[in-house]
Amino acid sequence: MQGPAIHVEQLSLTLGAVAILAPMSFTIESGNIHCLIGPNGGGKTSTLRCLLGQMPHQGRIRIDWYENRHCGYVPQLIEIEKTLPLTVRDFLTLLMQQKPAFLGTSNDTQQHIDVILEKTRFTDKQNLMLGSLSGGERQRLLFAQALYPDPALLILDEPMTSLDEAGMHNFEELILDFKAAGGTIIWVNHDLEQVSRLADQVTVIDRGLLAHGPTSSVIDEKMRQGIYRQAGAE
Amino acid sequence: MSAFYEGLRNLFIGLAEAGTLPEAFQYAFVINSLLCALVIGPLLGCVGTMVVAKRMAFFSQAVGNAALTGVAIGVLIGESYTSPYISMFSFCIAFGILLNYTKGRTKMSSDTLIGVFLSISLALGASLILFVSARVNTHILESVLFGSILTVNDLDMNILLVVTVITLALGIPLYNRMMVSSLNQSLAHVRGIKVDALEYIFVILLTIITVACVKIIGAILVEALLLIPAAAARNISRNLKSFVWMTVLISTLSCIGGILIPMQWDLPLPSGGAIVLVAAIFFILTTSLKGILPVFREARM
Repeated sequence: MQGPAIHVEQLSLTLGAVAILAPMSFTIESGNIHCLIGPNGGGKTSTLRCLLGQMPHQGRIRIDWYENRHCGYVPQLIEIEKTLPLTVRDFLTLLMQQKPAFLGTSNDTQQHIDVILEKTRFTDKQNLMLGSLSGGERQRLLFAQALYPDPALLILDEPMTSLDEAGMHNFEELILDFKAAGGTIIWVNHDLEQVSRLADQVTVIDRGLLAHGPTSSVIDEKMRQGIYRQAGAE
Repeated sequence: MSAFYEGLRNLFIGLAEAGTLPEAFQYAFVINSLLCALVIGPLLGCVGTMVVAKRMAFFSQAVGNAALTGVAIGVLIGESYTSPYISMFSFCIAFGILLNYTKGRTKMSSDTLIGVFLSISLALGASLILFVSARVNTHILESVLFGSILTVNDLDMNILLVVTVITLALGIPLYNRMMVSSLNQSLAHVRGIKVDALEYIFVILLTIITVACVKIIGAILVEALLLIPAAAARNISRNLKSFVWMTVLISTLSCIGGILIPMQWDLPLPSGGAIVLVAAIFFILTTSLKGILPVFREARM
């Protein structure tokens, strides 16, 4: 597998009269872990939504796909009606097959579900209702669904919120495995320690591009203080 | 289709005369209403699970109220006051689309917006229908609001059948995608699901189902039959499969019970009211079961 490279050229975003993002250009290399960091409200999630094609924007986003064109997406925590009788397995079935989930799960889909539940160490939770999952468990389920069909690009929007230490460890392992297999990862992350440890490249966004480049050159002590100061000031 | 309905009616009447079926089945209108119940029950049950997941119960009530205006317009332009389907379908579909369009383009909460549309549709419908009922039939408001099985005819059954076929043809292949887009729209977008298009398809389906059921259940009670069986089933379901099938079962039994019980005991109840009351009994039963039996409580396993 080879993940895509992504070229963002003069991307800007305006909602009504409000400028959300000033024009910015950067490149996300194939097979890299690329983190988007910056203060809350700075436009990281809006940038992701532009990359996902969900927001009308100015400028150009070019994705150089290789043989596999699948993209897995892990959204921020989803809120669902807690009493809806939908199990973990139901949720995955809804996403993974065309036949209505209430008519049963096909053998093929069962096998795919078993594999991703195993990978994300979620097998023992497969019959739990979504409403009874903790925040961290729901996050792991969202990660699990992103692994089918086999993606070449993973887009993660603050996926570690609410995870406990074991969950985080499992998550990091999965991300590193995905990278080792050649996949590209775009990751909105607030944890600068984790970004320093795992990311190959970093883009700092605060209503436009503040900095972009290899992690070691972008994240230094000055940057840490700068970002925290801006985030704390909001 | 009329020959098919006639054959069925003759079969039931023959069985009733032979004493195999209760005496009530000697009347064609009873058989008509039961045939409708056997279609409406599963249809509303299945769609009701989606209505609950999408939190759109009040949407169908707003459309039900809009049917009042549709009936009034139909009478004013010269349609039959017992089956003004052209104006009901046209007005309600336009109303549903406008409501959904506005919902997507305003920052107002969905509850507030639907509440506004619901009130407008009720006020407009009630005013117009009271105005036209003076010209044709004073019972028209009551039968539109609460249903009237006595007036169900072959045309009503044909319309119901066509709506059911359209719903199955679109709803079955799109069920999973509709459910996913109701859980998380961003996730649905990334998976290639056309969220907006699906929303409009569901709104139109819900609208035509509501209109097709107005005669049997009544404009203001269709929403109850979409909601109560699903709410009752939710109490005792542990997964999606049991939720959907249990809802279909409760909805169908409510329709049959709501039609047969008033006849059996000669109760002067409108069909819609009786159907919803039977559904309410199921809701009370399952709520009690949930409270009594630990297996139905939402404890973590």
